[in-house]
Order: sequence, then C-alpha cells, then structure tokens
Amino acid sequence: MIGLTHYLLLGTVVFCIGLFGVLSKRNAIAVLMSVELMLNAVNINFVAINKFITPNDVTGQLFSIFVIVVAAAEVAVGLALIISIYRHRKSVDLNDFNLLKW
Amino acid sequence: MDFSLLTTEILVALIGLLVLVVGLVLPDRGKQLVGKLSLLALAIVLVYALIAFPREASYFNGIYQVDVFGNYFKILFLIAGILVMLSASKYIKRFAAKSSEFYGLMILATLGMMVLSASGDFITMYIGLELMTISFYILTAYLQSDKRSSEAGLKYLILGAISSAVLLFGMSLVYAMTGTTIISEIAGAWTMQPAMAAGLVMIIAGFAFKISVIPFHMWAPDIYQGAPIPVTTYLAVGSKAAAFAALVRVFMLAFPPGSISFNWNIILAVLAVLTMVIGNLIALTQKNVKRLLAYSSIAQAGYILVGLVAANTYGLKGVLFYAMLYVFSNTGAFAVATAVEVDAGSTDIDAFNGLAKRSPMLAAIMTVCMLSLAGIPPMAGFVGKFYLFSGAIQAGYLWVAIIGLVMSMVSVYYYLGVAKAMYIGVSIDENPIKLDVPAQMALWACLAGTLLIGIYPGPLSNFVQTAISMFL
Amino acid sequence: MFEFILPNAWLIPLVPVLAFALIGLFLHRWPKISAALSIFSIAIAFILALVIAGGVFSAPAGTVYEFSTRWLDMPGLQVDMGLLIDALTAVMLLVVTTVALLVQIYSLGYMKGDPGIASYYAYQSLFAASMLGLVIANNLGQMFVFWELVGICSYLLIGFWFGKYSARNAAIKAFITNRVGDFGFLLAILFLQIMFGTLNFGELSDSMAGFTNMTILIPVAILLFCGPIGKSAQFPLHVWLPDAMEGPTPVSALIHAATMVAAGVYLVARAFFIFSAVPQAMTVIAVIGGFTALFAATIALTQNDIKRILAYSTLSQLGYMMMAMGIGAMTAGMFHLMTHAFFKSLLFLGAGSVIVAMHEEQDIWKMGGLYKKMPITTWTFIIGALALSGIPPLSGFWSKDEILLGALASGHIGLYIIGAFVAFLTALYMFRLIFVAFFGSNKAGAEKAQENSAVMTVPLIILAAISVVAGLVNSPLMHNAFGHYINSPAGIEPHPSLIIMISSTVIALAGIAMAWLIYQKQVISAEDLKYRFEGIYKVLYHKYYIDEIYAWLGARLVDGMAKVLYWFDIYVVNGFINAIAYVTAITGEVLKFTEDGQVQTYALYMFAGIVLLLVSALYAVYTVLI
Repeated sequence: MIGLTHYLLLGTVVFCIGLFGVLSKRNAIAVLMSVELMLNAVNINFVAINKFITPNDVTGQLFSIFVIVVAAAEVAVGLALIISIYRHRKSVDLNDFNLLKW
Repeated sequence: MDFSLLTTEILVALIGLLVLVVGLVLPDRGKQLVGKLSLLALAIVLVYALIAFPREASYFNGIYQVDVFGNYFKILFLIAGILVMLSASKYIKRFAAKSSEFYGLMILATLGMMVLSASGDFITMYIGLELMTISFYILTAYLQSDKRSSEAGLKYLILGAISSAVLLFGMSLVYAMTGTTIISEIAGAWTMQPAMAAGLVMIIAGFAFKISVIPFHMWAPDIYQGAPIPVTTYLAVGSKAAAFAALVRVFMLAFPPGSISFNWNIILAVLAVLTMVIGNLIALTQKNVKRLLAYSSIAQAGYILVGLVAANTYGLKGVLFYAMLYVFSNTGAFAVATAVEVDAGSTDIDAFNGLAKRSPMLAAIMTVCMLSLAGIPPMAGFVGKFYLFSGAIQAGYLWVAIIGLVMSMVSVYYYLGVAKAMYIGVSIDENPIKLDVPAQMALWACLAGTLLIGIYPGPLSNFVQTAISMFL
Repeated sequence: MFEFILPNAWLIPLVPVLAFALIGLFLHRWPKISAALSIFSIAIAFILALVIAGGVFSAPAGTVYEFSTRWLDMPGLQVDMGLLIDALTAVMLLVVTTVALLVQIYSLGYMKGDPGIASYYAYQSLFAASMLGLVIANNLGQMFVFWELVGICSYLLIGFWFGKYSARNAAIKAFITNRVGDFGFLLAILFLQIMFGTLNFGELSDSMAGFTNMTILIPVAILLFCGPIGKSAQFPLHVWLPDAMEGPTPVSALIHAATMVAAGVYLVARAFFIFSAVPQAMTVIAVIGGFTALFAATIALTQNDIKRILAYSTLSQLGYMMMAMGIGAMTAGMFHLMTHAFFKSLLFLGAGSVIVAMHEEQDIWKMGGLYKKMPITTWTFIIGALALSGIPPLSGFWSKDEILLGALASGHIGLYIIGAFVAFLTALYMFRLIFVAFFGSNKAGAEKAQENSAVMTVPLIILAAISVVAGLVNSPLMHNAFGHYINSPAGIEPHPSLIIMISSTVIALAGIAMAWLIYQKQVISAEDLKYRFEGIYKVLYHKYYIDEIYAWLGARLVDGMAKVLYWFDIYVVNGFINAIAYVTAITGEVLKFTEDGQVQTYALYMFAGIVLLLVSALYAVYTVLI
C-alpha cells in the first residue's frame, strides 16, 4: 500500500534532484528548469498531504495551484532576464556572470 | 465582512495598476507626470492608513488579518516607498520611456509587502512574498543598458526562486504535521517531531534569505550593487522590513517562545551573531558606497534579528522601532548616494571626495544618517539599538548584546570612512550638486526623521507599543 | 488667556528657536529680516512671559503649575520632560525676556554694519530659547541640556569676532572652564538619579524630606554646586568671565551679566531644598560667595578697561547672591539677581554706548568729560551705578540691604562685615569709573564723541527706569510682595531694620565720597596711593595672578601627566589596539573573498547553511525526545 511517506519521500527526492541541478548545471535555462523541479516537489508534498491528512478540505491543493501560477510568472520573468543578459554577453553560462563580486 | 478595512490595500493595488496601464498610452512627458501623481496618491493613502491604524478585522477564517501590527508595517512601507520614489525623481530619467512602469512596479512591490505583513496564512504569505519579489526581480534588472543590472537581476531571480522553494518545502512540512496553514491555528495543533523541526528550520532559512542573514546573505551585496540605486534602497528598507514582519508574526503567533521544548531563539541568536560579525567585518573592506551600504544593511539585519531572539516586549519593540528608523536613516544615506551617482556616475568612495565643500547639506545628511546607523546618540539608531540590546539582555542573551555592541563600534570605522572622504577628501569638481525639489523633500524628511526619532522617541515608542500588543 | 498659555509655556522657548532655525536655514542672507525676526520672536516670548507672570502673581503664593510628559521609556530608565511654573520661574522669565528684548533692540545700533548680523541674531535667538528652556525645566536632566546649550551660545557669542585671536582664546577658555564645573554638576545629577530614581524637582523635594543619610548627601550637594561655580563664575572658576568681555558688549550685558551667569544662582534657588538640607554645603556656598564678592571687588578697583571693571563687578555681585543663598536668605539672593540683572545690563549697555562713541576705545583713562557729549548715556549710567552701589530708593539698595540683613539675622557676622566692605568697594570702583570716564578732564579722544541714536538710548532709558523702581517690589512699601511669593521654608525671613538701612546707605555714600575725593577733586592722589601700596596694587592689577598660577599648574601637572599617558598610549594602548584592528581588517579581507560572483557558489553556501541548521535542529529534537 502506498502511503503518505512514499509521497513525501518522492517529493524529497525530486527536491534534491532539482537542488543538484541548480548547483551543478552551468546553463541558466537548465538552472531555471531545476528550480521548477524543486517547486514541483513542493507541489507533490502539498497535494499528498492534503489527500492523507486533511481529506476534507482543499488547502493543500489550493496552495499547489498558487505555487504553479506563481512559478509560471517567475519563469516568465526569468526567461526575459536571460534574454536580456544574452543580448549583452552572447552567453547563458552562469560562470560568465561575475562582474559583481568581492 | 467589512471590506472597507481593506481600503489601503485596494487603493495601492488600484494605483499600481492604473499607473501601469495609463503609462502605456501616454507620451514620455505624461509618463513622468503619472509617476508624480501616483506619489501624491500614495501620500493620500498614507494619511488614510495613519487614520485607520487602530482598526482591526479578520478575513476568510483568518487568512488575511487587518491588525495594528500589520497596519504599522503598512504605514512603514508607504513612508519608505514615497521617500524612495521622491529621492529617485532625477535618477528615473535614465529609464526614459519606461519610467511609468518603474513607478507601477514599485507600487506593486509595496502591495506585496503589505500583503506579506498582514497575511494570516501561509498561502497569502507566499503570494505576498512573490508579488514583492517578482516585482523586485524586474526592477533589479531595470537598467537594460547596464550589464551589471541584468546580471544582478538574474542572480537575484535564481537565488530567490531557490529560497522560495526552501520556504515552501518548510511550509509543506509544517502543514503535514499540523493539518493547517493558518498561522493562528498552527499554535495549538502541533507536537515537536523531527519533521516539524525541519520545517521550522526551512521556514527560518526562507525568510533569512529575504532579510539577508548570514549564510543566506550572499545575494545581497551583488544585487545591491547592480540594481538601480532606488531599487537597492527599497530592497534594503522595504523588502527587509516586510520579511521581518512575516517572521515575527509566524514565530510569535504559531510558535510563541516558552511554549515549546524546541528553542528556535537559539538558532536565531547564532544567525544574528554571525550576521553582525561577518557583515560588519566585510563592510570594512569595501570601496564602493553602494556595496558598503549593502554589507552595512546585512549587519543591520543582524541587529534587528536580536530583537526577535529576545522575543520580549523590548525586543519586539526594538524590531518595529528599528525597522522604522532604518527607513529614514538608510533611505537618507542612499538618497545622498543617489544624488552623487546622478552627478558623478559612480558610487565609489572616491566620488564622495570633497562633498562637504560642494554640497555641505548632502554631506551633513549623509553623516547624520550614517551615525544613526552606527548607533551614535542623539540619532535615532541609538535608541533603536538600546531597545534591541536591552531586550536581549533581559531575555538572558547577554553575549549576543555584547557582540552586537562591539560590532556597532567596528561599524563606526567604515561609516566614518565615508565621512572622511566627504570632509577631508579633495574633489576636482567644485560645483554643488544640483538637486530637484522631490529629492530635496526626501532628504529633509530623512534627516528630520532620523533626528526627531532620536531626540524625542516617545511618540514612535508608544505607537510601536500598541502595534506589538497583540503578541504579548 | 492665562489658562491657555500656562500648559503651553513651552511656546516661550519655542518661538525663539523657530527664529533661530529660520534665520540659520533660510534668512541668513538678509541681515535686516533676520534681526527683525529675532526681535519679533523675543517680543512674543516677552508678552507670553508677561501673561504667565500675571497669572502666577494673581494666584495665591505657593501655587505651582507642573506639566510633564514621558520623553523616554527604556528598560530601567524612564525620563520625563516637562514644565514647572511657579513664582521663581515667572520672575526669571520676565527678567530674561525683558533684558533680551532690550538688548536685541540695542544691538541694532551697536552691531550696525557688522557683516555677521544675521548669525549674531541667530545666536541671540538660540541663547534666548536655551535660557528660557533652562528656566522652565521641571527636572535636573532637562535643565542640564539647556545649561549646556546656553554654554554653547555663550561660546559662540564670545568668539563672535573670531578673527580676533584674543576672542577665540576667550571663547575656548570660557567653554573649558565651564566644562570643569559642568562635570561636577553632571556627576551630581547621576548620583541623584541613582539615589532617588528621579530628577524631577518636586519628587526630589518629597523624597528629600524622608532622607536621613546626610553624610552621602554632602558630596552630592557640593558636586551639584560645581555647576553654579562654573556658570556663575565663582572662585576658583571665575577666570573665564573677565575674558568673556571679548564678545560684543550687548552680549556681555545679556549673557555675562544679566542672565546666563545668574543661572547658577537660579539653580541654587531651584534646588534650595537639597542645599538647605546639608548645612556643610550651605557653609561652602556662603564662604565661596563671600570670598568671590570681596576678591572680585578688590580687583575691580585697579582695572582700567571699562568692560573689565564691570565684569569684575559682576563677579562680585554674583558672589553676593551666592553668599545670600549660602546663609539661607534665598529670597534676598533671588531678589538681588533680579535687580542686578536690570542695573548691570544697563551699565553694560551704557558702556557699549560709550565704546561706540569712542570708536572701540575701552580704557577709561582715555575718556573723560563725556557727560557733555552724551547726556543720556551719562545719566542712565549714573542711575545704574547708584543702584549698584545701593543708594536708596533705587533697586540695588533694597536687595543688597536684604542680603546684609540676612547675614546679620542668621548670625554670620563675618560675612556681614565682608558684605558691608564690598558695598563700600562697589561704590568706590563704580564712581572711580564715572568720575574718570564721564567727568574727568577732557581728553583728546573724547572730543569727537557724540550721543548714539535712539535705538541705543531708548533701551538705556527703559532699563534705567526699571532699575529705579524694581527694588520696590520687595520693599516695605509694597509689603515685601516679592518675598511673599518667592521663599523657601528652609530660608530665613528677617524683618527690615532701620539701622541696617541707614548704615549701608552711609557706607555706600562713603565709597562715593572717597571716589570723589580721589578722582574728581584729587585731594588724595591716585598715583600716590599706587606707589605707597605698590605690592598690593600689583597683585590686584594682575588679578591675584590666578591666570598665571593656572597656566603654571597646567604646564606642570597636566602636561607632565599627559607626557606619561602619551607614552603609555603610544606604546601600550596603541600597540594593542592596532593589533586588534589589524586582525579585524585581515579577517574582513579574507571573508570578502567568499563572495566570488558565482551565483552557484552562493547557492551552495545557502544549502550548507540549511544543512547545518537542520542537523543541529534535529539533534536538538532527538535529545529532547529521548
């Protein structure tokens, strides 16, 4: 029987995969995708918790819908920023973006 | 439900949207005018918010709270927003055709802060947080012609998104353990389990990012330096205060100190000490005033956090009090930096050389504001630190207070470094820096606020006392 | 009207402060507007003071109005600020505003053509505000703030002609000397706060009643008296006042004769309940006061600069007031403060008028025969001198008489003799000045002198009129109205005695007569006296060499100690501090490089932080659960 623990484990694993991507990928777009993965891990958590712990209301589902919407907005802005920076640098490699330091 | 109590938020939302839409159809000159008009409108809203301060209500089972605590912060954000936008009036010319959107986004960020500080539920809190943060992503990268600006924007976006994910993960764990996301209901519904502790820590980490607590501070210096300077100012005074408001609300309502075996104060204490020490030490080495102020504001976040560590009357009073005076002192310092950047095109310390001869008033305001940040009486910062540290001592965190005091002393060095450049440094350009009227108004307001709060802290202190009464 | 103004008495200092701010910020380019604004503001303050005085003196004696609000609320420290209005305050308000108003009007003429008129009036306004704030303060802390503010104004105005080397030095000297006294004052304030937990005069007075540990109160009272020693220029901190004459003469009249220097006396009167509880402190006050009175009067005999004579006379009269306080005659002391404020500012303004007419000449021997050229100045000056000498029925007679009476009534025979002798000396040196400067044989310098314009002479006339009548308020003719309102339960209230009145009048007349004989008729040769008493003359002329002694002490003690400390500082403290600073700077420099510009490094730090926090939190929870 698949229970809450399994879902939470799945969520955690996906979160960590996203995290790994954020830390290791050099391409800005790939990093954005990894961030999405992290957010979706949270969504899995919310929906599963809603189902198993408070089956009578929809708080968790509501939360995850909000997260999806906000994440979409975030990605839109993120892509726009990447385009803007690409115009300057002709690159989307995060290693190149270190004008600001120390 | 009496929705008239939401007038402040509704008006701010309307103004923000109107500015966005109207700015689109107007010619350039009209866009500037729209900005000015929106400032006027915000000022009216501020007056209304002051009148509506004592009114309280709760919406949708406590998802949204109108209470004195939130109202205090709404007033703070409005003051900060108005001051920042006034001081930026000349700088905005750099945005050319996009100046009305700048006002629009700033106002929407303000709305986000308001929602964040008044939310009674994790969902609303998240929405407010993101409304504020996404506006700031755009604003940070607003100087499209400047490589640094877009770099800062991208960095902020990536790190901000990660921190949101962490925050959400923490919230989901708390939700799992309690079955609710409404803050006031959490208080009675949880037991201390490892998952709960993990959730709490992640929530702390999420907010710590916003208030730039070490080791979640790394974004701040880069973004502060790269962003257009008015945006930096607002990030420092507004975004930080909003995150503090949310943090105080979550921890004081859902996890009141003493009620639980798990002592979150000690975690915050360690973070606060690290922040004060490292922030001040790195600030010593900075050569750019914007970046210096970034590290200084990291250190300031450490001081404010001390108040939450104490979590008693004086500590909380200190948090709110300091947040307000920080608006005046920090905005004042940044406003002078704005004027210098508009004039010299740079915010390196060298650009401040000889400022006392060129524009004595600017130099004086900068000095007063910085001394206030360093906590020298009779400036406002002294009173604020007095509250914060005496709260900590009362709560038994003497060591935190001592480190804070030592670090305040260290901070005097780099603040006076800027003063030294202004008063002793020599500049080739002898002409006074020309200021327009709005910037002058903002500067005078910051100076007056810093001095008045310092000399006669009574009224603000009473005001703050009312605002925190709901937690004690 | 009274009902409205009373709780809003803070308006009185606020109005001049506004004038100061407006002039300082916006109007300093327009000297005339600045001056007008300043005078206007002090006139308003004067009217308000009149209303308050009217209200206070129509109420029954002993009525106290106090308004207080919380200024600071901090852990373990609650500080209030507020107003205290009683008869004492009302008198001081009236004296300060009247003299300040007249002096500011007079300054229009005196300062004419000076490039710094705007800042002069700005400082004048600030001074008026600070002095009025000092007077209406209801607690020692607030009083101290204004006490320091008047000190700053005094500093600014003494050094007003900062182009002059001597003016700069005098300003610094005044400031530093005052700091010495203020240090004691501040210590006393701290002790009182610690001992009684309040600085409010009323509350202090109440808790003083039940206080029995008098031994500890002795040092506190004496420390508290250090403030007045500095501000009211009592021996041994009197050295700054004569030098303060470097400032413009109207400033000397207002600050260094009538108001600020009297603040010390006012403080003693206000805190009389503390001093009177400690007989030892009272003795100290009386002795210092009496000594200063005698000491300064003897110096005044030998000085040649018109303003310096008046300065030493002020010192001497301040000593008189202190002596009155010390013997318990608080009413007499305050009464003399009031009358002295009027006639001494009159004398200073008169001297200023002479100085203007003589084109900056201040040596009395280079004047002479001025009475023909400057009748108004001469006659008002003579009225002032008569009042100062204590000739009935002028104001000085009534107040001085009461002090002498008090000395006798309280059994201080020695002090009575000193007081009477000082009265004789006072008449002598004042009329020496008058006979030499106004009536002496016509000298070349005085020929071009002419009477000044009305803007300068009218204040003189008004002050002269006040000097004539002011004494009547505490005379038997008005049933001692002044003493009816201003008194202390611990003070003494002697009955007037005809013998004393007559004897002191005779003493004063003797002084005048002697001056007449020596300097007018030259029956006794001044030069002769000088040679016969050469030793004494030299000591007096050099002001007992106090300045020289201080300089010597400063060079030996202070500089010697400084050398030792300097060595310690350079090699021990500095080394230590530099090491700390070095380590701090290096740490900062190293930490800086954590910020390498790579966004993923930043993310890594964040996650490292989260992991650390998680581990420690989980560990904590497990230890609790197990």
